[in-house]
Amino acid sequence: MSSVSIRDVRRDYGSFVAVDGISLTVESGEFVTLLGPSGCGKTTTLRMIAGLEKNTGGTIRIGETLVSDASANLFLAPERRKLGMVFQSYAIWPHMSVFDNVAYPLRIRRRSGGEIDDRVRQALRMVEMEAFADRPAPALSGGQQQRVAIARALVFEPEVLLLDEPLSNLDARLRTQMGDEFRQLQQRLGITTIYVTHDQSEAMALSDRIVVMKSGNILQIGAPESIYHRPLSREVATFFGDPNLIEADVRDCRQLSADVFALDVEGPGWSGECRAAVAVSSGSKVTIVVRPESLRVGDAAGEGPALEWTGTVSQSIFRGSHRSIVIDTPGHSLNAETSSLANPSIGNQVTVSAPAAAVWALAAG
Amino acid sequence: MTTTLHPRPEAASAAPRRSPGRRLASPRRLGGGSLTRHVALGCLVIILGFLTIYPLGMLLYGSFHSTPPGVAGEFNLDGYRAIFTASNALVLVNTIGISLAKTIPSLLMAILLAWIIARTDTPFRGALEVLITLPFFIPPILTAMAWGMLGNEQVGLINMAWRWLSGSDNALVDIYSYGGVVWHMCQYSVPFLFLFIVDAFRAMDPSLEESSRMCGASRWTTFRRVTLVLMLPVLTSSFILSFIRGVESFESALFFGTPAGIKVITTEIYEAINHRAVPDYQYATALSFAILMLMFVLVIWQWRLLRGRSFQTVTGKGYRPSVTELGRWKWVTFAVCVLFFVVTVVLPVGQLFLGSFFQFFGFYGWDMLTLDHYRAVWSNREVWRAFGNTLFLGLTGATVTMILGAVVAYISVRTRWRGRLLIDALAWLPWMMPGMVLGVGFLWAFAMLPGPITIYGTIWALLLAYITLGTPIATRVMSGSYHQLAYDLEECSRVHGASWLQTFWRVIVALSWPAFAVGWILTFFGIMRELSASILLYSAGSEVLSVVLLKMWTNGLAEQVSVIGLIMMLMVIVFRWVHLRLLKKRLSTL
Repeated sequence: MSSVSIRDVRRDYGSFVAVDGISLTVESGEFVTLLGPSGCGKTTTLRMIAGLEKNTGGTIRIGETLVSDASANLFLAPERRKLGMVFQSYAIWPHMSVFDNVAYPLRIRRRSGGEIDDRVRQALRMVEMEAFADRPAPALSGGQQQRVAIARALVFEPEVLLLDEPLSNLDARLRTQMGDEFRQLQQRLGITTIYVTHDQSEAMALSDRIVVMKSGNILQIGAPESIYHRPLSREVATFFGDPNLIEADVRDCRQLSADVFALDVEGPGWSGECRAAVAVSSGSKVTIVVRPESLRVGDAAGEGPALEWTGTVSQSIFRGSHRSIVIDTPGHSLNAETSSLANPSIGNQVTVSAPAAAVWALAAG
Repeated sequence: MTTTLHPRPEAASAAPRRSPGRRLASPRRLGGGSLTRHVALGCLVIILGFLTIYPLGMLLYGSFHSTPPGVAGEFNLDGYRAIFTASNALVLVNTIGISLAKTIPSLLMAILLAWIIARTDTPFRGALEVLITLPFFIPPILTAMAWGMLGNEQVGLINMAWRWLSGSDNALVDIYSYGGVVWHMCQYSVPFLFLFIVDAFRAMDPSLEESSRMCGASRWTTFRRVTLVLMLPVLTSSFILSFIRGVESFESALFFGTPAGIKVITTEIYEAINHRAVPDYQYATALSFAILMLMFVLVIWQWRLLRGRSFQTVTGKGYRPSVTELGRWKWVTFAVCVLFFVVTVVLPVGQLFLGSFFQFFGFYGWDMLTLDHYRAVWSNREVWRAFGNTLFLGLTGATVTMILGAVVAYISVRTRWRGRLLIDALAWLPWMMPGMVLGVGFLWAFAMLPGPITIYGTIWALLLAYITLGTPIATRVMSGSYHQLAYDLEECSRVHGASWLQTFWRVIVALSWPAFAVGWILTFFGIMRELSASILLYSAGSEVLSVVLLKMWTNGLAEQVSVIGLIMMLMVIVFRWVHLRLLKKRLSTL
């Protein structure tokens, strides 16, 4: 397996900048997801790694091989990069059977008939499609096509596997199932994988690391937990779920560990402690991020320091697995999630609180 | 099916668009090296330029040149002065009037037939559809001659039947009249328009109509205010196309107009070259150039009208259109379709059949039965030669045209090469050149070639003209097929190790060959029926069947013409059958 490393890679279309000089290293065997809204440059980045698109700046390395260097005008053709790829549409060739589709990369490489037969069967077994080998490709369902596409991408043991929104054409239930299966397969084979999606829950469930992109730039790179709980910017915070963003003034700041600081913050009618990634001088403004599921309604936050607000319940919506409520406090309203068994009545005065460890402050601006 | 029949420049822009980034991102840069690319592009531009720009330029040159091609002369404006006369004003009015007069009733008839086939429960609709589109594929010269016999004032079958039925001495119809010209053109316009419209009827989302019904509109109101309005783009475009073809058409006016003194532009050009004591090339060329300008205006008008309007109505999603249950009326609609088939195919073919077995057509007695005409045709060396020529030109011409079209379409649809727009435009140019005009252009073009190259007077002259006339359709068919292939299919092959050439062969060719075959057959049909360019460019030894037929007809050999006509009909039916089989196969695999 190989690592993938891209340095200052950019892609311009005339005056439009699709990818604005990004750098990223994917370790051998790692599963990295490029995540962002449509038009953020994630697919363009993937296609530049694949060689389907030329980068207008920067270098791309796969393993030890330099495959693309814009300044030296060096571009290795896609067929010489030894990659496996699954396309959004699966790109199953309609004029071939399932077997022929999967055998294609081996036939192109002029492997012997016996070897082709063995390896195709093995790849189809891996995705549980062995029984369909002789089916004509158009006679497959979406999920089956996706399995064939994965088998085809893995059959010649590529250095790196690239996936371009492979689950987006499936229905919700199948999407979860295929995602879980795929993650297991990836971990078993230990293959370096770069995955593109706009679906944040998919990204969190599958990845070792997530790269959040916007407008051709990387906003943040990190493990799913750290991106979710410790975002570096408002954009990253709001990209996942629907957090409460509250303006606050800093009263005090002290360092807890190398990259975590405890802040004493206050707003209109409330005050308390939260965490931040950088030191913030007292008196400056911050935005604090509180996720609805971190808020507790009614009782105290339990152990340790906490933040507390008081207000009246203005909305209460039953959602099955939980209940969403909206609390109007003097400064702003708060979205909170509570147990679906609880049923606070509208107009009631309640207290909501969050533990300091679950509240994250972003330096304003 | 209709979308593959005729070149429609707009369709290229109506093709599936991708987001800006991805659109630019396709495999275009993945083609061969830049040197091969430039050489390939240069060759294509030279070939296409020779086929289109060169005869066009020569047309302009010839219209100022006072003497026939290849003869020294001076340059003047006599040709243009000669075309601005009162009689030519009448010719122009005739041309436009006749074309309008045939397009409007044809469109109404085509809408009726399309509705019957696509939206009612009329029995045997599948078979009826094949039958009512058949006339489109019969060479017009055949039906023209058959109707010349059927509608003859004295001995035509129709008038004989009328006299026998009514006891009167007068003729019911005279085919040699305005009515006759329009009537014959309609037989081709109706199936042509039908092919365009029927898929639009079929592909319509039924919920659009159902919601109108739910809002309280009657079936008829819904048809008028929803169905027809939604189809307006298709109807307008097919109306203009049909009108353009009316202006270009030659056979109907030649057979039924000329004897009655009715002239249109194409027959006027033909007469100036072939039927005057001294052929007036300058006049004919100036007139050709004038009609070309008229076509240019029409094509631009069509372009502007349809720009940005998507009439790619054939979607991948198979809507099941709401089918009107007609009850007992379904046998009426069935009869309408059958009647159309009988009038446009059975009557003329029957006439050819009948004519071929009697001594003289019009005298149908037992003692007149004979096989002499078959023997005469069998032993006629000229016919055999023409048959061989037609077959050679058809096979070679269709193959070369389709290869050219496939290459042009590939470059313009699937690459981002600089210069592809030029190639595309050059390949479209013949679309607005009537065969007659192209014939005149090539007359000049071949005469002006430098010494050792002789094309005029050989079979290659016809071949080049046919390739030029066929290129727009070939390009259209192939680009339609390339548009359907997702870029992913190509890219996926590249990523998984195949080179550009391997990908082209294993994916593009493997997926688009049915379209190639369908286009091949269409081009072959086109060559078999071509008359207007052939009649100008043939010479002794390089006659084709349509030219021989016309010559024999002019010499009064109507009976032998019937024999040859029947043989051609047989070929048409065989090729059309293969064509339908291919279409079916292609639709079921993709």
